Amino acid sequence: MSAATTAPTSHVDAQGLLLPADATGVLTVSLDGQYVWSFQPVRDGVVRVVDGQRVRAVAWPPALAHLLDGGAHVLVADADGTPYVDDEVRFSGAARRVRVVDQHGHPLAVNKVGHLTRTFAATDQATRTAILSGTARILADLREHGGVEAVLNYGCLLGAVREGRMLGHDCDADLTYLSTKTHPLDVTLESYALERVMVARGWTTVRMSGGDFKVLLTLEDKRVVHVDVFASFTVGGTFYQLGNRSGTLDPSVVAPAGTLELEGVELPVPRDPEAMLAFVYGPGWKVPDPAFKFTDPPAGVRRLDGWLRGYRDDVAAWNDYYRSPRSQQVPRTGSQFAHWVHARLPAGEGIVDLGCGAGRDARYFALNGRPVIAYDSSADARQHAGRLLTKDDLDVPVRRFWANELRTVAVTALEIATAGHHVYARQLLGCLNDEGRAHLWRLARTALRDGGALFLEFSSGTGPTALDPLVRRLDTDQVVAEVAAAGGRVTHLEEGPGLDTEDRPDPRIARLVVRFDDPAPKEHHHG
Amino acid sequence: MAELKSTLNRAGRYAARVREQYGLAARVRELEAELVEARQLNRRVAELTDVVTELLVPLTRRDDAGVDAVLARYRRII
Repeated sequence: MSAATTAPTSHVDAQGLLLPADATGVLTVSLDGQYVWSFQPVRDGVVRVVDGQRVRAVAWPPALAHLLDGGAHVLVADADGTPYVDDEVRFSGAARRVRVVDQHGHPLAVNKVGHLTRTFAATDQATRTAILSGTARILADLREHGGVEAVLNYGCLLGAVREGRMLGHDCDADLTYLSTKTHPLDVTLESYALERVMVARGWTTVRMSGGDFKVLLTLEDKRVVHVDVFASFTVGGTFYQLGNRSGTLDPSVVAPAGTLELEGVELPVPRDPEAMLAFVYGPGWKVPDPAFKFTDPPAGVRRLDGWLRGYRDDVAAWNDYYRSPRSQQVPRTGSQFAHWVHARLPAGEGIVDLGCGAGRDARYFALNGRPVIAYDSSADARQHAGRLLTKDDLDVPVRRFWANELRTVAVTALEIATAGHHVYARQLLGCLNDEGRAHLWRLARTALRDGGALFLEFSSGTGPTALDPLVRRLDTDQVVAEVAAAGGRVTHLEEGPGLDTEDRPDPRIARLVVRFDDPAPKEHHHG
Repeated sequence: MAELKSTLNRAGRYAARVREQYGLAARVRELEAELVEARQLNRRVAELTDVVTELLVPLTRRDDAGVDAVLARYRRII
């Protein structure tokens, strides 16, 4: 790096940034001229001593770290534009340029919760208007057909009130509605019902928790904008607002809603927007801070986590994995276990690939003449699988499966039972927590009660896997005990060296065949 | 001797306080974990209530087309 353009104590590599220990304020990072991240060195970094000098070390956010393959011109500057780093950096030996873009090539940046999303600064005026017009349509459907007091909130509201335009560094449109429910269970049921209304209105949605879902707004150029629909409600005198806000707020701050014009589009907003912004961003909301992070009361976060969350904890990490170059290295041909299972099943019998990943085994089974349904928790994995299967013109539905969400578990079990397929799960078990495994046994017992087998392969024994903590080893005896407790019979068990999720040698792999049908139905004696 | 006795008593009282505090900390951790378990029941009950209320009527009527329609609707949101 050249000393002329980079502060002497600054350094950038694939791990993160080293900055002078006195670096303060908000710093923005651009790669090849594209804004990708802003942070506060004091809040986000730690002080270290390197070569006798105190420096502040700031790690790359995980969503960005896995994309840093190749080279880029890195500019790290403060609010006045004074650079801390302004130099070419090689993050790896690869000759390529680092690209932080979506599948259509549109620029992405890390948002305030650490996810990669598009930024409004990177969109032109016509697109901004299209986003806000779409947001207005979503709000109208929520209010008129969902019957809830829905309003614009968070970044868009802040932009509208403080600057009369969308904020450059914000990247999604957030809506909230005031629920009259006072029990978290009812809040969740209301959110489910609201999502059904939106789907019936023709929208595509993605559920994020029991209290929020995203409405996907597809623009003319095929870009997809995520519009969050967050519940807000009062329980025990505390006002909660998804994401994670909680505290004291009179519901009359929200309703009845007023309206505000943002970039030429009229939108419903809380009755007292200033009070809402002070609740959300604190008393300093009038002063711009692109690196703002929420500091929520921990007790409120614990309650919201417990009431509403816990079924998609690993989904974001799996999505990141399937976007990473690492996942592209995994073979697309059928795994050894798929060959093993195929050889044991009569020709033509159908199979469900639970945890299909990029679809290699679903493809293998389908190419070998089996009807197949594939399931995975990660949208990116499903996208890869869909593409792989379409390339070979294979008619394999690829569906979502969240083992910790009982609606998905129940519906998937019914789908499998109706199809009469066997169930195949390679390296799925080690991705599930205790609750997820319990649900998997329930699903298998429901789906396979009239016959069919559950084929399992997982890394067993102790110690980390190559994909720890996303994939964990399991104790085979414990798995067998869980199967038995759920009413299953292990009809085959073998254990030994094999291949892991990515086809690398694994010293200990277990293979199980489990049946849940009753081998000898008991006669019923009456009288 | 009396001084030693008093020091030992103080040390004993201190040790008891430490034991109590550590015991309390462990108990609080345990209670917090139990509270999370109880809170999680909200979501599980909501999920089951949702799926049962959607499927109950077509299943009771043995309305296969109705059941298929409910499953298809679910597939759009789960």
